[in-house]
Amino acid sequence: MTEIGLGIDLGTSNSCVAVVRDGEIRVLANAYGDAITASVVSFKEDGVITVGNLAKANAIHNPRHTVYSSKRLIGRYYFSPEVKKAQAIYAYEICESENHGINIKVRDELFSLPEIGAMVLREMKSIAESRIGQPVHKAVITVPANFNDNQRQATKDAGRVAGLEVLRILNEPTAAALAYGFGKGLKQKVAVYDLGGGTFDISVLEISTDVFEVLSTCGDTFLGGDDFDDRLIDLLADEFSADHGINLRNDLYALEKLKVAAEGAKNALSFHTEVAIRIPDVIESDGKSLSIERTVTTDEFSRLVNDLIQRTFKVCDEALQQASLVTADLDGVILVGGPTRLPMIRSAVTNYFQQEPQSDVDPDQVVAMGAAIHAAALVNKDRSSFLLDVTPLSLRIGVAGGLAEPVIERNTPVPIEQTRTFTTFQDHQESVKIRVYQGESRRDDENELLGQFEFSGFKKARRGEVEIDISFEINSDGIVNVTAKDRETGEQASTTISLSSGLSDLDMESIIREARTQRIEAVPIDDGGNALEPRPPDPRAQLVMIGVMAQTPGGETVAPAVAAARTINLEERPAMNVSSHFVPDLEMAPDDGPTREEVVILSEDGEILGTSDTKPDLDEVEPSAEDLFESPGSDLSGPLDEDQEKG
Amino acid sequence: MGTDLAPTEIIALAEIVDDLDYFQILHLPRSASIGEVRKAFHFSSRAFHPDANRHLPSEPRCAIEKIARRVTEAYSVLRDPRRNRAYLQRLEAGKGKRMQLAEAQAEAGRQAVEEKGRTPQGRQYYSLAEADTRRRDFAAAARNLQMALTFEPDNELFKAQLKEARDQT
Ligand SMILES: Nc1ncnc2c1ncn2[C@@H]1O[C@H](COP(=O)(O)OP(=O)(O)OP(=O)(O)O)[C@@H](O)[C@H]1O
Ligand SMILES: [Mg+2]
Repeated sequence: MTEIGLGIDLGTSNSCVAVVRDGEIRVLANAYGDAITASVVSFKEDGVITVGNLAKANAIHNPRHTVYSSKRLIGRYYFSPEVKKAQAIYAYEICESENHGINIKVRDELFSLPEIGAMVLREMKSIAESRIGQPVHKAVITVPANFNDNQRQATKDAGRVAGLEVLRILNEPTAAALAYGFGKGLKQKVAVYDLGGGTFDISVLEISTDVFEVLSTCGDTFLGGDDFDDRLIDLLADEFSADHGINLRNDLYALEKLKVAAEGAKNALSFHTEVAIRIPDVIESDGKSLSIERTVTTDEFSRLVNDLIQRTFKVCDEALQQASLVTADLDGVILVGGPTRLPMIRSAVTNYFQQEPQSDVDPDQVVAMGAAIHAAALVNKDRSSFLLDVTPLSLRIGVAGGLAEPVIERNTPVPIEQTRTFTTFQDHQESVKIRVYQGESRRDDENELLGQFEFSGFKKARRGEVEIDISFEINSDGIVNVTAKDRETGEQASTTISLSSGLSDLDMESIIREARTQRIEAVPIDDGGNALEPRPPDPRAQLVMIGVMAQTPGGETVAPAVAAARTINLEERPAMNVSSHFVPDLEMAPDDGPTREEVVILSEDGEILGTSDTKPDLDEVEPSAEDLFESPGSDLSGPLDEDQEKG
Repeated sequence: MGTDLAPTEIIALAEIVDDLDYFQILHLPRSASIGEVRKAFHFSSRAFHPDANRHLPSEPRCAIEKIARRVTEAYSVLRDPRRNRAYLQRLEAGKGKRMQLAEAQAEAGRQAVEEKGRTPQGRQYYSLAEADTRRRDFAAAARNLQMALTFEPDNELFKAQLKEARDQT
């Protein structure tokens, strides 16, 4: 049997798996025929764990026990701002673990983030196994280019817990460039513009036939599609407050409704020039139920998010400068991530780079495809491409005065190693301690702490007489390794790492043992080896669910855990009609319900209150390929020029 | 792909790699151009990159990884003209064959500041010209570079940039 290596894009909102078989790259669809699977894990009362689309569908009944967007938390410290933010808005419980790490608490059980990630990975692995028809043990897993060492380590741990040998941790934009340029014999400089749910990455690469060399990468881990949603939420909430004197943000329940509506409307604006938002019963006041009705146009939305889009270009300026290039040097621009479907982003990107982005790249699948190509190159010896990547963040050591001094600057190619010599400060000193950081600030507390290392076991002598060489190594996964040696004896010092968000080997062992006994609910894929290719995304099959609320079997009213808006093609999926997809206990035949390109307004109990039949203005907009790529207007060019001047 | 060397040769090479200078590691003459440095890096990476040598047993694989780290180190220093110059000076001064990246960067930074002008006026006009170039206003850039050159007539960078700006207009 030939060895197989999967490519897995473990995304914040969605994951995707691909493989190279018989020289062909194939994206492997899940049981519903979708190329992408929701990165959602749901824990049922009976101890069964559901992963993927079913878990997302179940979220409405089980919000406190449904874990989504866990990638935003992986490898982070409990005290980090991102975790605090998540705690305020996520419906599931996030608590502190030892060493300042975090755990997710569901039904009185604690799970580390790598364990949650592993559940999604295992789902992707099993999708692949059913499609390929044989077991798979190896994979390349992708991460945002800007991920730090803690986040990479944790992702690798997730792979191990899922029973995978992680061949490589690969940067998402690098994978995208590989999928784009593989086997084409290109000599090009390209930029990969990757705007996901929560993060933005830009990488600049030089492709010379089979060599994919990353020249620079820059990113913003606090900028993504979710921020676009927030702008719409603010608009709706502010207007509501002006009209009714009620701040919807103070009501978690109303806020959830706003979130679902905002994401749905935003996504619809990729395909329509105008979208109607209707949230019936958004809140009750003096016994009267109040609603929101509002139309948003592409132009209005562009103005709302223009500064966010411009922020991505500041990062692009930085990346180009680090690569010593100007936009005119680039031969291609590749778009990755859901939000890059928005026409206003496409036109702003065209404007900034002075060229049309590549249109034959699927922004949802390209990362997994690149990972699959690299996985195949790693398991087979006949390599036809190779990747030379860089470290996205500067590696620093803490020095006196609360400062952090760079040892390896960002955008240095990897693998790399630097050695610094330290000496003892006191007579008979038994150990040396250093703190290692990643980041771009000179102040230590403004960087990410990777760990505090304590080295001991070298000879005891007068101060200044012992010299210790400390090596800082970054491998091709972007993972950092710190070791120390007595310079005179060449003997390796023993190392203790404290303050680290990672799992110890002991933790790992017990986690892997436990993972084997977890009961995971599987959706059978019946056509085994006869791989079904994913449906091509159909822009017309746009269904926006707005204001979906539900009640638990116990009568408790709950908010939906995740924004439920996404593309569904109702006709091709009789087994998963719209209602069962999101509100499983609703009985509604697909042919009774809405079919295509409609805005659907659901009431609290799942009843359909209206469709685009009752909103004819939407039907007038026939979405076409042109709609997707046409620029909405020229109002973006002004501020953009100004920006380029400054940069 | 991967290396043609036998495991024992790999281990031997890893042991002596710290005695080689960066040009020797990349098999380059000291006069190599930046383009040649890049080509040599790709060539050496094909042989020594860990991705290309996954199939080796652990001991030679560790050795290969060490060599690969030195190959990238050599590239990181030599691919930048200013760092390259700083490294050559270091070799000539007999100060050792490895150069800390931070030191190479600091040296390059010092050179860059010098190149951008020794006089405050030269620096000022040069930075205006840089902004013009980013705006692609080459006529204005040429005027500012001309001014910069009246303060520092022998500044090579100013001269080269002026020529480029004129070619663009
Ligand atoms: N048609 C669309 N138009 C605009 N935004 C969209 C569209 N479809 C999805 N999105 C948005 O894209 C984001 C998710 O993008 P994507 O699936 O690329 O992220 P991810 O891969 O899960 O995240 P990451 O790569 O950051 O880990 C969400 O904010 C979602 O609302
Ligand atoms: Mg992604």
